[in-house]
Amino acid sequence: MLTKTQRGGAFFLAVLLAATATGFAAPTPKTLNDSGDPTLALTPPLRGSGPAPKGSPPPNPDPRNFEGVWWLQGYEYMLGPESGVAPPLKPEYMKVLERRIRAKNRGTPEADASTQCLPHGMPRLMESPYPIEIVQTPGRLTFLHEVAHNVRRIWLNRPHPKNPTPSYLGDSVGHWEGDTLVVDTIGLNDRTFIDDEGSSHSTQLHVTERYRKSEGGAKLELTLTVEDPVTLEHSYSYHRIYHWRPDVRPQEYICEENNRNAPVDGVTVAK
Amino acid sequence: MKRLGVAPAGDSLPSRSAALAGLVGYALLAAAVPVAAAAPPDLTGVWSIVKPEDALKTADGKQPPLLPEARAVYEKHQAMAAKGDRSFDLTTRCLPPGLPRLMLIRSPFEILQRPNTIYFVHELNRLPRRAYLNEKLPTDADPHYLGYSVAHWDGDALVIESNGFEDGTVLDAAGLPHSDALQLTERYQLDKDGKHLHARFTIEDSKTFSAPWSFRAEYTKRRGYELHEDVCADKQKPHLLAQ
Repeated sequence: MLTKTQRGGAFFLAVLLAATATGFAAPTPKTLNDSGDPTLALTPPLRGSGPAPKGSPPPNPDPRNFEGVWWLQGYEYMLGPESGVAPPLKPEYMKVLERRIRAKNRGTPEADASTQCLPHGMPRLMESPYPIEIVQTPGRLTFLHEVAHNVRRIWLNRPHPKNPTPSYLGDSVGHWEGDTLVVDTIGLNDRTFIDDEGSSHSTQLHVTERYRKSEGGAKLELTLTVEDPVTLEHSYSYHRIYHWRPDVRPQEYICEENNRNAPVDGVTVAK
Repeated sequence: MKRLGVAPAGDSLPSRSAALAGLVGYALLAAAVPVAAAAPPDLTGVWSIVKPEDALKTADGKQPPLLPEARAVYEKHQAMAAKGDRSFDLTTRCLPPGLPRLMLIRSPFEILQRPNTIYFVHELNRLPRRAYLNEKLPTDADPHYLGYSVAHWDGDALVIESNGFEDGTVLDAAGLPHSDALQLTERYQLDKDGKHLHARFTIEDSKTFSAPWSFRAEYTKRRGYELHEDVCADKQKPHLLAQ
């Protein structure tokens, strides 16, 4: 069982390795829309989780049983259709993203919700470098995220409420299409960003997630679709893999304890 | 009787009932009924405390047996609270209330019962807690606000044992202190009506109390209620989110 410190170390190592790899293979970091402008440099992705170590308990072979701990492979700071490609933002929102990336590169990033221990919002929450535990009870899947004790409840086979009160993680309903779990989320407030770089969304954000187990349950594959008629030119999708990690036990993560990212005058002072 | 794993020999059980339970146990064994395989009751659902408790007393209504130093801390907290100073209370900074305090507040919680883990997901700031079944309590648990919990079924009662607590929390809103030596035992029994959950909490903390002590609480099932997204940081003033 990895402790949080050991896991932190693993991630630090992963960051180092990624940095080294980028250092040799691509001396200039990717920039927003391949502009070549260093003030628009994108934060390189993290490697994230690999498969469970040898000797770990085998995954549940039932394709509709998602219960257990899952951990993201790779971590993208920008959630576009491909790694390093921005979401298809409308020009005015692309300008906002540019402003936020420049602020980050100046060392004074704009405060986003998670810097104040507020929930990360969607789809960003699914892009956490911390493990996610899924609990499956009749009519429900509950996602217990280690990061900042976020909880998502996915209600099976029922419609959204007519006028859901906007919330950070929205209202999520799901159903099975064969062995694919389809999750539909609306009712999100606009206080969060789509991703860590700062892509904007509105309260009309609509996220569709399609989850399917592969490799006998060793992987959970996600195709996530983002729609937002206010901030996006058109909808887009991306693909992610989560590894079955029975060797990992989610830890108590209390953002509120030591929030070094707390903003001053709307600007995050440390990151 | 305990050895047979039949009925719980709870300390509140009159000896006659215990003897009866023992007899029933033997009868079941004699009939070769696989007693151990009997499914435990399902506690899954949303629960609320019937009577929130701000200032804990022992089960027989007495002051908890505080050691002199701890009593001084408790009295200091009470004096501070009387002046409106709750700086001793970490929840004013959105930190977890710790245990058993989290189980004494009005805010509801959800139990998700699975074969290997019992999850308590609290509405209050969305705090989750896990109790791992059929595991021994570690002797070197890292300190956490909600401790480290293991569980087992004692007949149809769920018993949760916890240690590894942060010593910065207080046991109740009145400011009853504890140390890092706190060991908490919770015993949950579903009422026959399936709508009430009876709990008995036992506090052991040799650095704070001269003897172990217990109290009870009761929870009622909130059928149809769904937990809200409660975000403590959102209620802090001034609200810091840049718009």
